[in-house]
Amino acid sequence: MRRRFVNALLDATAGRDDFMIISGDAGLGVFDDLRQQRPEAFLNLGIAEQNMASFGAGLALSGYKVVLYNIAPFVLYRCYEQVRNSICYMELPVVLVGTGCGLAYAPAGMTHYAVEDLGVARTIPGLTTLSPCDPMEARAAAAYALEADHPVYVRLAKTGEPELHAAPPADIRRPQVLRPGRDVGLVVHGPIAVEALKAAELLAAAHIDARVVSVPMVQPLDPAALAEALAGVRGVVSVEEQFCNCGLGSRLLMLAGQGLLPLPVRVLAIPDDGFIHHICTCQSMRTCFGLDAPAIADAARDLLA
Amino acid sequence: MNALQERYAHAARTIRRTIIGMAERSRSPHVGSCLSCADVLAVLYEDWLRLDPWEQRDLFILSKGHGAMALYAALAYKGILDPALLDGYYQDHGTLPGHLDRSIGRGIEVSTGSLGHGFGLGLGLAYGLKKRRTGRRVVALIGDGEAQEGAIWEGALFAPRLGLDNFTGIMDCNNLQGYGRPQDLCQFEPMAAKFRAFGWQALEVDGHDHLAVRQALDVPSGGVPKMILARTVKGKGVSFMEDQLIWHYYIVTPAHAAKALEELS
Repeated sequence: MRRRFVNALLDATAGRDDFMIISGDAGLGVFDDLRQQRPEAFLNLGIAEQNMASFGAGLALSGYKVVLYNIAPFVLYRCYEQVRNSICYMELPVVLVGTGCGLAYAPAGMTHYAVEDLGVARTIPGLTTLSPCDPMEARAAAAYALEADHPVYVRLAKTGEPELHAAPPADIRRPQVLRPGRDVGLVVHGPIAVEALKAAELLAAAHIDARVVSVPMVQPLDPAALAEALAGVRGVVSVEEQFCNCGLGSRLLMLAGQGLLPLPVRVLAIPDDGFIHHICTCQSMRTCFGLDAPAIADAARDLLA
Repeated sequence: MNALQERYAHAARTIRRTIIGMAERSRSPHVGSCLSCADVLAVLYEDWLRLDPWEQRDLFILSKGHGAMALYAALAYKGILDPALLDGYYQDHGTLPGHLDRSIGRGIEVSTGSLGHGFGLGLGLAYGLKKRRTGRRVVALIGDGEAQEGAIWEGALFAPRLGLDNFTGIMDCNNLQGYGRPQDLCQFEPMAAKFRAFGWQALEVDGHDHLAVRQALDVPSGGVPKMILARTVKGKGVSFMEDQLIWHYYIVTPAHAAKALEELS
């Protein structure tokens, strides 16, 4: 996914001399071609995230399209105030790329998980946030971020995620229906979409027709587009690798409360009662937190019962 | 005193008088911090920064954003900022905020206020302008208290290798931060040696000696970024404010202002 994203950026900027990727000493292997073919478009600013974010803002002010690349916590948390003040307060079109979203890096440990990044991004007005579910959405996210005239945060997993779309979505701003269905909507963002698709198969065996909807643009969230994508179903189960208090699910509950999403909503997310100390793979972690396909199917059945 | 010195002195006096007026009207803090950098700003804006044509101008960043009154005063003096806006500084439904907001417009190059940000912003700007071979220069003014921020040292570590000889940092070493003297809180000195060890050209000058400041700005940087340690006095120009800790936060009353303006006449 991250390689597809970076390559899409490079393809789209071939011949441009106003484009730069700044890495915070991250992305081993991802930038090999770039460093060989366009060394002038790449800069490693080392393990110094605050400077990287301010420096990137300054470079953007001088007229460059700047992409800052790092592991998600290090591009958004470590330098939160630089992102807030130097990039977003000044409305600079910097692209923040965070890898290892959700639990992708498990069992690396809590320091390397990004399970509250949507909550952090939510506190910054004007920071468009994209959470692609597969390499195709990542490619579309790259095209969007490159053209955007405002700050964009793109959260990516790592490598090897399966392709869930046949082609890049035409409009990455809109919710994407990954699987049509009449009865229940399974709403996801990020690569946990595969669990929702598997859950839909389990539900089909029980004669429940589940619609799987990916929401790549989690901020800003367009309630009308979301309601349209979910039209006709009897309830919604949201699934995400994010603390339950700050993710897409909590947004859906808010929309439901405001009457903008007139459906029962069930939120599947990581409990917000403590830090994660489990030592297990991403897949096992999903099972631990009730986010795997059987748990999603159970929640959907329960909601419709 | 030659003509240039007179121009600098006039600029500095005007900036200081404007600062006192704003501080009194607004009852806002930081008057001492603004007065300490007034002479540096006078030299920069009087003739060192190349501001014409505006699109190709040198860029000045006030990284110590709490010195906003000094920058507003300098910009108004040069006619870059509408002087009518000064009356609304720090007022309810006012015109100018207590710390810098780029959206205010001309002359406010970046938004600052939280310390340690403007320095890295300036380095990035200098890198981009140099990469584009524009010849434009960047000056970022930081406080000595601000030099305690880790972000400053992150930037300091990387700037020389990037060859940012179009970047000049000026540290307003007024030797008083919010609650004490830097040297009493940390191993602040030797500051010039620290920057030299990081690969910078470091100069020390009397930050109230206009010609000395000018000369330091003009010293060729030799392919590396430059840091000028401007040794200054907090509250400079107003006898009862000079080197007094309280004037980081103290409010300027009409009586204070009258006495200060008398001294600055």
